[in-house]
Amino acid sequence: MALATSSIAGESGLLMKLTVYRDALAENVNHVMKAVSPRTTIPILTGIKLEATPEGLTLTGSDSDVSIQAFIPLEEDGVQKIEIHQPGSIVLIARYFADIVKKLPNDQVDIEVDSRFVTRIRSGQAEFSLNGLDAEEYPRLPVIRADNVVPIRKDLLKQVIRQTVYAVSTSETRPVLTGANWAIKNGRLTCVATDSHRLAKRVVAVDVDPAVEYKNVVIPGKSLNELGKILDDNGNDWVDIAITSNQILFKTDNIQFFSRLLEGNYPETDGLIPRDAKTEIILNTKEFLQAIDRASLLAREERNNVVKLKTFEAEKRVEIISQSPEIGRVYESVPVIDHSGEEMRISFSSKYMMDALTRIDAEEIKVTFTGAMKPFLIRPLDDDNILMLILPIRTN
Amino acid sequence: MKWTQWLEEQKTVATILINSLEQSRLGHAYLFTGQKGTGKREVARHLARSFFCRNKNGIEPCGTCRDCRRIDSGNHPDVVVIRPDGRSIKKQQIADLIKAFSYRGVESERKFFIVEQVDLMTAQAANSLLKFMEEPDGQTVCVLITENVHAVLETIVSRCQVLTFKPLPPEKMKRRLIGEGVAPAMAATVTALTADYEEAKALAGDEWFAKARSVVINYMEELFAQPQRAMMTMYEQCATHFTDSNRLHIGLDLMLIWFRDVLSLQTGRPEAVVFTDRLERLNAIADMIFMERTASGLAAVLAAKRRLNANGHPLSVLEQLALRLEEGAVSHV
Repeated sequence: MALATSSIAGESGLLMKLTVYRDALAENVNHVMKAVSPRTTIPILTGIKLEATPEGLTLTGSDSDVSIQAFIPLEEDGVQKIEIHQPGSIVLIARYFADIVKKLPNDQVDIEVDSRFVTRIRSGQAEFSLNGLDAEEYPRLPVIRADNVVPIRKDLLKQVIRQTVYAVSTSETRPVLTGANWAIKNGRLTCVATDSHRLAKRVVAVDVDPAVEYKNVVIPGKSLNELGKILDDNGNDWVDIAITSNQILFKTDNIQFFSRLLEGNYPETDGLIPRDAKTEIILNTKEFLQAIDRASLLAREERNNVVKLKTFEAEKRVEIISQSPEIGRVYESVPVIDHSGEEMRISFSSKYMMDALTRIDAEEIKVTFTGAMKPFLIRPLDDDNILMLILPIRTN
Repeated sequence: MKWTQWLEEQKTVATILINSLEQSRLGHAYLFTGQKGTGKREVARHLARSFFCRNKNGIEPCGTCRDCRRIDSGNHPDVVVIRPDGRSIKKQQIADLIKAFSYRGVESERKFFIVEQVDLMTAQAANSLLKFMEEPDGQTVCVLITENVHAVLETIVSRCQVLTFKPLPPEKMKRRLIGEGVAPAMAATVTALTADYEEAKALAGDEWFAKARSVVINYMEELFAQPQRAMMTMYEQCATHFTDSNRLHIGLDLMLIWFRDVLSLQTGRPEAVVFTDRLERLNAIADMIFMERTASGLAAVLAAKRRLNANGHPLSVLEQLALRLEEGAVSHV
């Protein structure tokens, strides 16, 4: 390993110089590549930013919506990963840099940037010389102060994402609905997503000063799905969340995931959730889901996958019916565990119902109706922190 | 260019923008209209610099900070510039624009949009733009640019503050070109052809154009001095030089200038002559022919331009014009 001290390297006119272990570099380049899009209108975003500080090397990739930062510390678990000879920064075209790093022959990689941004990458017998770009041109990501973070368990965060993001709108007519609305108040994080035909809401307790309050933090559904995937490959159990006026940051171990927020005010959704109940039934989730799934075989997309549900209080069962004159009909009876209130006949989209049932993570559910034309609620039997709402479909 | 320079160049526009900047009361939507080359794009960029620069001197951006430099290089993530990709603004570009509108900024809550040639937008695209202009979120400035304000949807125009850029006065442009080392006669020629300073400068330095100018002058002079040889010259020089319709348009414009010069001399306005380097010959011809001939010559060239616009084949347009011009010249002699 070349052991030039930083002062000597500085005098040699280099912008940056470091030696790094290939595997650590390749792994982290791989992380940040997930944010780099080949289709970008901002030229500098075709690159990955490398920033060497005395503490280590930070890599950044971004498509401007989502940015990922990966940090390689000088040493990890007592193993040296990197040696910084001259702190500095450079942007290298992501496509080439990522492929080069993957295929370098030696365990060690020397990276050296001269004052004209020409970057020499040396490993074993191979030497690449890449034209870099000025790191000053790269977008500035928000700097987060450590005292402003909201910690949350990683598995819980993943669950929150899974249980809400599916309900965001895919239509651009109301862009703010393509995101999930997060709010923090009294130590509770509330996440809501809706496409105005259905709604998903999840409340979790977070370990934060009750005075901390955030509202109208609308995170694009796309970003959250992306985050869900990235959370998989990391060890630590906790994620720190930090919110600024324009971005949100999720930090785990050495990876930081930034997403831009959506502009505009998220509509007030509490008023949509009915308070009173005319009918309440308790069902076995799996049985109900399978029945809906079968009924949906004959439900057709152009008719909103509509299925009908009919309650029979005395017989402790519900009937699921789906029919179309051209194809045929399906009829199924599902036992209910408990029934209270009046009889109900209602039609709804089988797809929306299945989306909700597959994500509710409860053995038994409580379905609350307030009328054939009113939205109805699906909740786990003994958990008020998860709520799925579906609007019925008007049929003849 | 600085705001103070723009104040000289585009007084009305610069005054309005400078006042809004000084009072921090920038509107959220502007429509910049005016001819090509009047500085619409540059002013839009300069406004963006003033909007983002953190190192401003009054309202004047520093031009050297990270924000200013990235606006120049097109790397500023919160300055979104949409310009037609080919002949129209593509669907994907509109989608990008709408997305940029609906997301908060990357670095701050400030966003700046520049849409060039907004008249090329489809009505559908323009309508989707409209929705965002109706309810501006955050600290957003949107500058729409067009050369043809009448082709922009009325509903869009009505939501913007319309700023009209005035073309550079020809005298000023000529002086500036001469100041940059262009020969006076050439400066006068290009000024007569275009109001766009950059285009004028490019033409003045173009070899093809210099040749075109001398080809046309030769032909016109010969047409009146030795009409029997003019047809030959037309085939040998004009037809080989003005090979496609764009080039022929320039050739015809030069002929128009030549006839106008003759007319200027005939009406006693020698100061209006463009081809000043040929003043002597022009004078001789002005004395030789009747003013009606000059006028019919002008009419013949204009008719040729129309035929060319109607997709006439360049050579046949040129031939027909030569015959008509010769008729006039010969019948006179």
